[in-house]
Amino acid sequence: MMQIYQGVDIVDVVKFSKVFNAHRDFVSDIFSGKERAYCMSKRDPSIHFAGRFAAKEAGLKALGIGFSGRGIDHTLKEIEVIAGPSGRPELSFSGWAKKISRKKRIDRLTVSISHSGNYAVATVILTGDK
Amino acid sequence: MSQNLITEEKVYEELKKAIVETLRVDESSITPESSLINDLGAESLDFLDINYRLEQAFGMKMARHFVLEHIEDMFGEGAAIDEDGRLTEKAIELLKIRFGENVPDLKPGMDMDEVPALLTVKSMTQGVMDILQSLPEKCTKCGGPEWKTEDGVKIKCASCGENAAFTNGDDLIKAWLTRVQEEKKIF
Repeated sequence: MMQIYQGVDIVDVVKFSKVFNAHRDFVSDIFSGKERAYCMSKRDPSIHFAGRFAAKEAGLKALGIGFSGRGIDHTLKEIEVIAGPSGRPELSFSGWAKKISRKKRIDRLTVSISHSGNYAVATVILTGDK
Repeated sequence: MSQNLITEEKVYEELKKAIVETLRVDESSITPESSLINDLGAESLDFLDINYRLEQAFGMKMARHFVLEHIEDMFGEGAAIDEDGRLTEKAIELLKIRFGENVPDLKPGMDMDEVPALLTVKSMTQGVMDILQSLPEKCTKCGGPEWKTEDGVKIKCASCGENAAFTNGDDLIKAWLTRVQEEKKIF
């Protein structure tokens, strides 16, 4: 029977940028090399980092993982959002995120990201047969 | 080696400072029993901010991986989380030992994403204390055996001034799991 898992997240770009800029390790702890390269190639990297962060959070919610709280959650980095050939964002999992995805027999992943003003929003839909 | 240079009260004060700066809440609204999510309104970005502030203040590395992930890495797939993403009885048994009375609402079958709401100011304070207790016997730079703190939060070698190299949060979790498994034979 097909199962559908959904997650949505909204990020205040100003608040996100303050945290992003305040902590030296944030960018490498949370974003993969490909994500960093993509966002840094844009005119306003912060809005693209914020959009990807929203997608990672939406991915956590769809997977039902939550976040660890006591520590810096590496699972956020394991939920990677890269631009596909058409420019549309594509989602992939590794590590703990992939393990949970496998337990839930998830075989299709979709992500959508949007920005407006000071906000970035993302939705993730995962489907699988169980 | 245990350390007595930084007390639990001092860690609690630093954590309260980080929470006030991050969440813009009144300090008087924070108690040891406050849930960061349910009572203080923290979101995941706030948790990152608070954890980075603690790392910076005390000069240490918090864990990057959740204890449930370490349980599955060490004791096999399915040890902590079932196929529906729910916590197993054995995972709950371990978490109860780990968090003790600080997190009373742990129940087998609960969803993973229910766990963060159980985190209290007290349990986060304990997490920092666990790392501070890993103060090495000697300075890794000069071998000096004495430690000091001038600002009450950062421990330095009394001889050369090098910052103390604490064990990181992930290695502490793994060592703790090994010790508990040897004693309790849970898996």
